[in-house]
Amino acid sequence: MDSKPVTLTIPSDSKYLSLARKVIEHFLSYKEVPPDLIYKVVLCVDEACSNIIKYSYEGKHDCPIEITFRLEDDEFSVEVRDFGKQCDTKSFRPRDLEKIRPGGLGTLFINSIMDNVHYCTERDCGTLLTMTKKLNFAASKATPQES
Amino acid sequence: MASQGIEIQKADNNGIICLSLKGYMDMNSSPDVRDVLTEHFDRSTKAIIVDLSEVPYIDSSGIATLVEGLQWSHSSEKKFRLVGLTPTVKDIFEIARLLQVFEVFNTLDEANQGV
Repeated sequence: MDSKPVTLTIPSDSKYLSLARKVIEHFLSYKEVPPDLIYKVVLCVDEACSNIIKYSYEGKHDCPIEITFRLEDDEFSVEVRDFGKQCDTKSFRPRDLEKIRPGGLGTLFINSIMDNVHYCTERDCGTLLTMTKKLNFAASKATPQES
Repeated sequence: MASQGIEIQKADNNGIICLSLKGYMDMNSSPDVRDVLTEHFDRSTKAIIVDLSEVPYIDSSGIATLVEGLQWSHSSEKKFRLVGLTPTVKDIFEIARLLQVFEVFNTLDEANQGV
């Protein structure tokens, strides 16, 4: 079942990350997406918002983060928009996995889990991050269960 | 705003510190875990065991906190072990290729062996 886009705006405060997670989790559960897939796409949105709080808004707690998501033909798409400092998106590289150190994992998760990741800074302020992932769950849902 | 926080229970068995976490380990709650963890990065600690069996969600900040424990372990030559990773949390460790880097055990009993 396809859906119209849903938009959620949260403040750039880490306390609200759980709210965004819950809304997307509930949305995808309602669409009968398997829990392991839900976890992964929710993680990517969470990591994107965390990066915005840290780097675009530099820790400020009262700036808007707009999250717009939808499910269409088994493809989950989400846009995460901020209005803060524009960063050099080429510098958003996952860390070298051979180096064991804290940090740099958020970008790794986003790039590993999502099919398409695109950062757009061609605007007056902030960045628009668009991510999509084909969930491929409808086929397994349609398969009759063995008794 | 009530967020999904984390409960931290601590047990000290003759210098073997066991931290049992319950809840969501994210950007909001990871600093609390880090504070408790780093309290024990000293000579009197023989080993640190972190029980994640009641952690259904971990993000990069949560994993980074645990990596700090791993780094302490390497520099101090003490044990730092993880217990009870749920399948979804294990998947995330796998993506980060950290499952082979940490010492991971299924049960607390197993984790307590040989520390």
